Amino acid sequence: MTMTKIATRADGQGQPRARRPLSDEALITSMVACAAVVLFVLAALLVPNFYQPLNVLNLVTNNWPVISLGIGVTFLLVSGNFDLSVGGIVALSGVLAVWFAQSAEGGNALSTGWGMPTWLAMGCALVGALAIGALNALFVVRLRIPSIIVTLGTMMLARGIAQVITQGSQRNTNLPADFGFLGNLSVIGNSVKFPVVVMAVLLLVAIFIERRTVFGRLTFWTGANPVAARLSGIDRARHVTLLYLLSAGVAGIVGILLASEFKSGFSNRGLLMEFDALVIALLGGVAIAGGFGSVIGMFFGAIILAIVTSAATGLVLSPDWQFILKALAVFLAIVAQSWALARRNK
Amino acid sequence: MSVQPHPSALSVTGLTKDYPGVRAVDDVSFAIAKGAVHCLMGENGAGKSTLVKMITGALQPTRGEMSVAGRSHCPKSTQEARDNGIATLFQELNVVDELTVLENLTLGMERSRFGILMNSEVEARAMQTLSVIEPAIDPAARVSSLSVAQKQIVEIARAASSGADVIIMDEPTAALSEREVERLFGVIRRLRDGGVTVIYISHKLEEIFALGDHVTVLRDGRHIRTCPLSEIDGRAHLIELMIGRSVLHDYHPRDTIGQETILVAEGLSNRLLKNVSFDVKKGEIVGFYGLVGAGKTEIARAIFGADKASGRVRFKGREIGGSPKEAIAAGIALVPEERRTQGLFTALTIRENVSVMNLGKLSKGGVFQPHVERAAAEDYVARLRIATHSIDKHVEKLSGGNQQKVVFAKCLFADAELLLLDEPTRGVDVGAKSEIYDIIRNLADAGNAVAVFSSELEEVLGICDRVFLLFDGAVQDEIVNGAEVDVAHILNVVTGGHEGAVQ
Repeated sequence: MTMTKIATRADGQGQPRARRPLSDEALITSMVACAAVVLFVLAALLVPNFYQPLNVLNLVTNNWPVISLGIGVTFLLVSGNFDLSVGGIVALSGVLAVWFAQSAEGGNALSTGWGMPTWLAMGCALVGALAIGALNALFVVRLRIPSIIVTLGTMMLARGIAQVITQGSQRNTNLPADFGFLGNLSVIGNSVKFPVVVMAVLLLVAIFIERRTVFGRLTFWTGANPVAARLSGIDRARHVTLLYLLSAGVAGIVGILLASEFKSGFSNRGLLMEFDALVIALLGGVAIAGGFGSVIGMFFGAIILAIVTSAATGLVLSPDWQFILKALAVFLAIVAQSWALARRNK
Repeated sequence: MSVQPHPSALSVTGLTKDYPGVRAVDDVSFAIAKGAVHCLMGENGAGKSTLVKMITGALQPTRGEMSVAGRSHCPKSTQEARDNGIATLFQELNVVDELTVLENLTLGMERSRFGILMNSEVEARAMQTLSVIEPAIDPAARVSSLSVAQKQIVEIARAASSGADVIIMDEPTAALSEREVERLFGVIRRLRDGGVTVIYISHKLEEIFALGDHVTVLRDGRHIRTCPLSEIDGRAHLIELMIGRSVLHDYHPRDTIGQETILVAEGLSNRLLKNVSFDVKKGEIVGFYGLVGAGKTEIARAIFGADKASGRVRFKGREIGGSPKEAIAAGIALVPEERRTQGLFTALTIRENVSVMNLGKLSKGGVFQPHVERAAAEDYVARLRIATHSIDKHVEKLSGGNQQKVVFAKCLFADAELLLLDEPTRGVDVGAKSEIYDIIRNLADAGNAVAVFSSELEEVLGICDRVFLLFDGAVQDEIVNGAEVDVAHILNVVTGGHEGAVQ
């Protein structure tokens, strides 16, 4: 308010602006999208029937859990933190939802639960997921332990709790009839599963948060330079805490929907999903050092991974080759990203 | 000191180091005699550390030659410099607490056969060196049980026993008590008598006179004088050589200083600060001048809430100091010491940097207003004359001066009424420097309060209305700027002369 005449005021407003150059993020995202299209065309040429509309749709719908998890993982990576606990949370929240919903007097231990109504059981399971997120935040933010170690620990903790509750197998009996409703609900003329709709909504909300809100911008600032962020008045502790809760919340929803779809709580569900979520974020151009990346990029990263793995299974390669293909895709993506940015910023 | 007939231990000829826009070391030539304590003097920014970095191989000179004991010396790495017999003692200790003194002495020089450690003459030599320079230290003691000074002596012994002919010590007494300093000096003298050359860097003048045989003075990257210390006629003479007649004094008394006190700090104390109290008025530019380690940055950070400190800070009558967030909300902004690591998001654009400190202005109900951000960035780029063709340019691609202006823009956008400027023109070219001074004066003229924390006397005397002199974490004196300011007095106070001390 008091600083109206700092120096001579050049007239910078009125002149027409030249078209803005593409930002680095937009460049990388479009590169990823192009790569996805090129790979799709290649796969369509090589693999019979690959281009069929249903198959195209399946590329997205079959991967709704990983794409959803990728949202939280992407936000955290951009803020400079890892989240490896999401796969464990998927297992834990699903097992908790089933356990809470199972009727209180079953025949044996594995068929006996808490007898909660489905909505309450799912709500409590979500709270359980958020508790893991809170634990992540506590260790990373308050105790300043590197996030990769913390979330590696909570990944095992969450899955471990799920394993104890299910005694190492699964719980799938004595469930209320409506427990499987959400996971198997189909909308839009019975063609799209409800969980896919949830994924789509989550994606849109995430893109809005990332691009259009202060919260999204805070994520970039925090990741780009935590020290400068603090000295600029950003409450990093609060922000990273919120991000871990967000990621755990999304993972909780995914776990609960999967439990509902299969009407079971399975302690091995979501195994290695945390790595897939990390891989698609990296494929989508998210920088592992933080401060750079986008949810849209992550989405196209997921498409690339889906095309590569499903095209391979459609070809002569056996599914055993999946991991090697993923590895190749990740290496290529990282090399391409650093090459593109280095070229641009030289 | 019959040193003339020997070849010099180290000599540099025409040594020059250029950075983009700045010549840090300019055609420096001098020789250091063997077996002497040679002091390297100069103000901050005089080029001492750049020179030392070139000698130790951390930096490569743009031009010029060096030689060690008559042999050409052009190290590409610090390891190569060590191989040529040059060891460096840094301010931070480099000893392993968990090991014994002897193990530390032989660290990195262990003899092994098939990966199995062997006892060897290395140990014997280390023991002998230690017993000569400081017999009081038990070689079997664990280093963690030693005092800071003793640890330093262990480091010196390690350097000496590894066969270093030249040992560079950069402010080795910074963390030592007076008695420990005496002990260290004893060690250094015994080293010298054993034929080792010591290059000694310190801002504390009395240490120089107590210890040094020869002195080299640098100023603005140039070599001013090399001579035996006996030719120097006391502190005043040395200070004069260091600053020259170049303290240009273009300060004009300003008439916009208000009566209202906006900031009061009382008894700030922490690890480095000792009971610091001062006040700042509206419309005033206050300077804090002191050498490295005197506590400038610490005061700025304590007021801003970035570091914990006891004592009270009252801003516009309200107590603050909890966190940077709180300080910014109250109307204080900080231009930090290190702009690249603390002030800027170098991987982001100018636009994204300018906006960060005032989220309230930028959003409506949490939704970002891109046009507000763009307008603000365009506005400050124009007002501060930041040289860029676009506000979408990445900050890392700007020059130092323009980067610093972006940091200023950040703080201005925060609508701060008190600006804390820590080394506001460090690493900035001359043109941008005077522009930044204009910005500072205009801010104060508009009624804001400004506190400048600087280790450049010229800067402080050029723009500040009132100056607090710092030494050793405490305010030693307060002076009102004006034509009759006594520069010698200022330099005396900030180098530890106690004549000017006030309580």
